Amino acid sequence: MPRIDRRTALTLAGASVLAMPALRSARAQAQGSAKKLVFGGSIPLSGGAAETGLNVNNGYLTAVKYLNEQGGVDIAGTKYQLELRLFDDASDPSRATTLIQRLLDGNADFFLGSFGSNIVLPTAAITERAEKPMVQAGGGSDQIFNQGYQFVFGMFPRATRQFQSTVAFFKTLNPQPKTFSVIATNDAFSKTFAAGIVKDCQAAGYQLIENYLLPEQISDASSVLSSIRSKTPDMLLCAMHDQNSLLIARQMIATGTNVGLLFQGLGPQLASYREALGKHANGIFYSTYWDQRTTWKDPFFESPAKFAEYYGKNFTRPIAYHVAAGAACIITYVKAMQAARSIDPVKVRDALAATDLETLYGRVKFTKEGDGDAVAMGPSVGQVLKSAGEVVYPAGGKTAELLWPVPAWDKKS
Amino acid sequence: MLALQTILDGLVLGGLYALAAVGFSLIFGVLGVVNLSHGAIVLIGAYFTWFAWHVTGMDPLLCIPPVMLVLFGLGYIYQRGLIQLAVDRSSLLASMLVTFGVALMLRNALVLAFSPDFKSISPGWAFSFLRLGPLTIDLVRISALAASLALLGALAYVLNRTSIGRVIRATAQQELAARLCGVNARHVYAVTFGVSAAFAGASGAILGIVLPFSPPDEANWTLNAFVVVVLGGVGSPSGALLGGLLLGLISTATSQLIGPAFPNVMMFLILVLMLMVRPAGLLGNAFAGTR
Repeated sequence: MPRIDRRTALTLAGASVLAMPALRSARAQAQGSAKKLVFGGSIPLSGGAAETGLNVNNGYLTAVKYLNEQGGVDIAGTKYQLELRLFDDASDPSRATTLIQRLLDGNADFFLGSFGSNIVLPTAAITERAEKPMVQAGGGSDQIFNQGYQFVFGMFPRATRQFQSTVAFFKTLNPQPKTFSVIATNDAFSKTFAAGIVKDCQAAGYQLIENYLLPEQISDASSVLSSIRSKTPDMLLCAMHDQNSLLIARQMIATGTNVGLLFQGLGPQLASYREALGKHANGIFYSTYWDQRTTWKDPFFESPAKFAEYYGKNFTRPIAYHVAAGAACIITYVKAMQAARSIDPVKVRDALAATDLETLYGRVKFTKEGDGDAVAMGPSVGQVLKSAGEVVYPAGGKTAELLWPVPAWDKKS
Repeated sequence: MLALQTILDGLVLGGLYALAAVGFSLIFGVLGVVNLSHGAIVLIGAYFTWFAWHVTGMDPLLCIPPVMLVLFGLGYIYQRGLIQLAVDRSSLLASMLVTFGVALMLRNALVLAFSPDFKSISPGWAFSFLRLGPLTIDLVRISALAASLALLGALAYVLNRTSIGRVIRATAQQELAARLCGVNARHVYAVTFGVSAAFAGASGAILGIVLPFSPPDEANWTLNAFVVVVLGGVGSPSGALLGGLLLGLISTATSQLIGPAFPNVMMFLILVLMLMVRPAGLLGNAFAGTR
């Protein structure tokens, strides 16, 4: 058996180390035959908004990975591979603005949004000034869409318009609720969402009992719940983020605070929320923008079910509607570029403004201010039933029968 | 009756604040170190308890002793291996920067280990409550308050009635004199830090039953502990208890009387006032941190 002496071994090792960059470069050249289409942005992968930020990020990653695996996308006869340049903004708006400015300095032309209106708002101001489009699935506050921005597009209707379909659902209930109270937290999205709730419910003839505003991060809601027990509304409508929603629901159960209907805009969609409340979660209502059982036709993934299947093969994190919304941002961008037959940011912006297409996420159509059309992109109403999230309104997208009236906490099974 | 319910809610919330702050108070009082990683240690206790409850189904209250034991060890090593080095080589200010850096690292380590998703500990009894006439008592919060009082009582006993407690107090009051009497001050500091970490871990276990939690919450718990210490005074369980209860009462009373959006405003207003009027806190003493 031939023996390798120390000198030969060292020579071979050295040669392999030297050859590695050359091999890498050759591989890169082979991949580099298609042009690159770069999407920049920041996303909260850590910090307070990371839970949903990860979902949006996974949506971006899924769409880009899938499209690249299909050989890239064809825009006006040229093949492009998609590339993401996304950085963790740690849920910090000031860090996000620095990152976006750096990406602009690095000549990024197309931007994807972060999660949270407090981050999307300042970053959108920067991309707007630079006349670069931003398509985002993380900011619903009205402030983003009433600044006169031309280059910012959102996958949700603005916050004050997000409740219209839910009020329409309330009107179908029998027995009919008459009164409502609202609990909101003091952040950009929740405050405007709560304003929309109050406006739409009052317009529909429901009587407001109390409108509570809590700090952005809640550690105790006992005094609010005492007040609710003394002036019990038929409906309690909560406008806040996931962790706060869970705290409110837990404290309601643990103090026997019963209302006829509990609606929480964010929270019940998450498996962790439903797991934490167990059987008590059953009957809680929420907004949902997507369900993989719907039958939308997507130009690339074909259907929501196939998208969910592909996602499941590539990610272990449970799928959520923000994943689909994130993927729809990429799909919408690509379709707009194909429609514009260009990757010029201004032409793509014009094509985005004219978008009206069916995707895995549903129909995508923007208002002239850039938020999602309230009818085409408004939410469905979900209800937790047997510890799973189900769509109960509108009738066309229903996945389960509604539980109404909802039993008291101690009567739930 | 609403006033009575507000007081009750405030006391229960205050018990939690007190337990979460006592470790911070002890370290500040004895070592003179402002431990900015305190909230992260509280959260480590919450995550350990969540893990034990989630994997083995163990009752979270039964998890408290093992969590305290583990965190005592980690706290001891943390002080001897890092904080003491920073103090020796530079100053107490350097130790504060070190704890700030450690807090950032721990927060990200928790994200890596447990994901950024919020967690919640919900044992079978988590949703029980009592009705006493018009008063509603959340059993989870009441048991959290009881556990807090028991643990604070135990700490007070250790500090006031045992030889290690006497050694800790002596070192805090006059390090040089304690050394001259043969006390190994470095060991005492590390033990104190270990005890503090153990109590932070215990409060994390209890907070995890009461509130959902996620890694970014660590900053809030450090801040709450700071306010409690400024309010109650440094270095003693009674100061932490008084500060915690006052903070709880201020929080619920502000919420009820002024508006639910204002507890934080009131909390920081009182913090500023206390720092101006009585910087040593209501029960302040002459431990290292207050000199």
